[in-house]
Amino acid sequence: MVDKLYKAFVDATYNVFNLMFNISDISDHPIDEFACDNELDISVGIVGELQGEVIYRFPVVTSLNMVNIMSGMEFEDVDIFVTSAISEIANIISGNVITALSDNVFRYDILPPVLGKPSDAKEYEIEENCCICTSLGEICLDVRLNRA
Amino acid sequence: MLWKDIYELGVPAIDAQHKELFSRVEAFLQVLRSKESWEEKLPKINETLEFMKGYVVEHFHDEEEYQKKINYPKYEAHKQVHIGMVDYVLEVSKQFEESDNNENLMQQFGGKLLSWLINHVAAEDQQIADYAKKEGVSGNGR
Repeated sequence: MVDKLYKAFVDATYNVFNLMFNISDISDHPIDEFACDNELDISVGIVGELQGEVIYRFPVVTSLNMVNIMSGMEFEDVDIFVTSAISEIANIISGNVITALSDNVFRYDILPPVLGKPSDAKEYEIEENCCICTSLGEICLDVRLNRA
Repeated sequence: MLWKDIYELGVPAIDAQHKELFSRVEAFLQVLRSKESWEEKLPKINETLEFMKGYVVEHFHDEEEYQKKINYPKYEAHKQVHIGMVDYVLEVSKQFEESDNNENLMQQFGGKLLSWLINHVAAEDQQIADYAKKEGVSGNGR
């Protein structure tokens, strides 16, 4: 079930990039190869029979490319508008996972996206992560869950 | 340009409304992101917000009628998504008025609206079109 949930987040990210940005050339690789010190971290909490969060790490370059493509405008800095647009994308991906797995044994829901990376202090039973590569840039997914 | 041909569903009546909606949202974003002072932008911002409150409801209603007409199986779930967005637009509009036209609130709204609208049309509405084509009822526009 846990593997299925993690895979569902990766698949949902692929699908959102495919449908919203018309990008089909997408791949993923281990997070160790991800090097970025200027990124937008969006955390989406999971509550219910599974508890934890999914952290979406969008490098600034990726964030700006995404908003530029969607809007047809030129954004040069990450501001409230860009943060809100990217947070909504994290929310859409997470919502799609909940819908895709709605017939599963575990009952859980998602919380609104929050800006910022949660503390690494808490331990999780399930910790999976990867980087997804697209022509707009990379996005890293960090899934951290405990069974309630 | 905000509208892209890949968003077309192949249902002329709904595509025409989507294009109008995208055109209005694009005009809104251009004003929102322009270099003018916030005071100069406000009349256009308020005008678009008023339009959105009316047109979004009208478009969602028309789209729901179309879904009923073709017996779209995900009608109820899609309607709930529409209700959620209408509630959000009304809530932001109320907060905007109460906050004495706070710019940050409107920038936040603009960003969310952009991603929401594109996902809704490119992904969620596309499922309606896929169903209509599969069932051979895609010409049943209003």
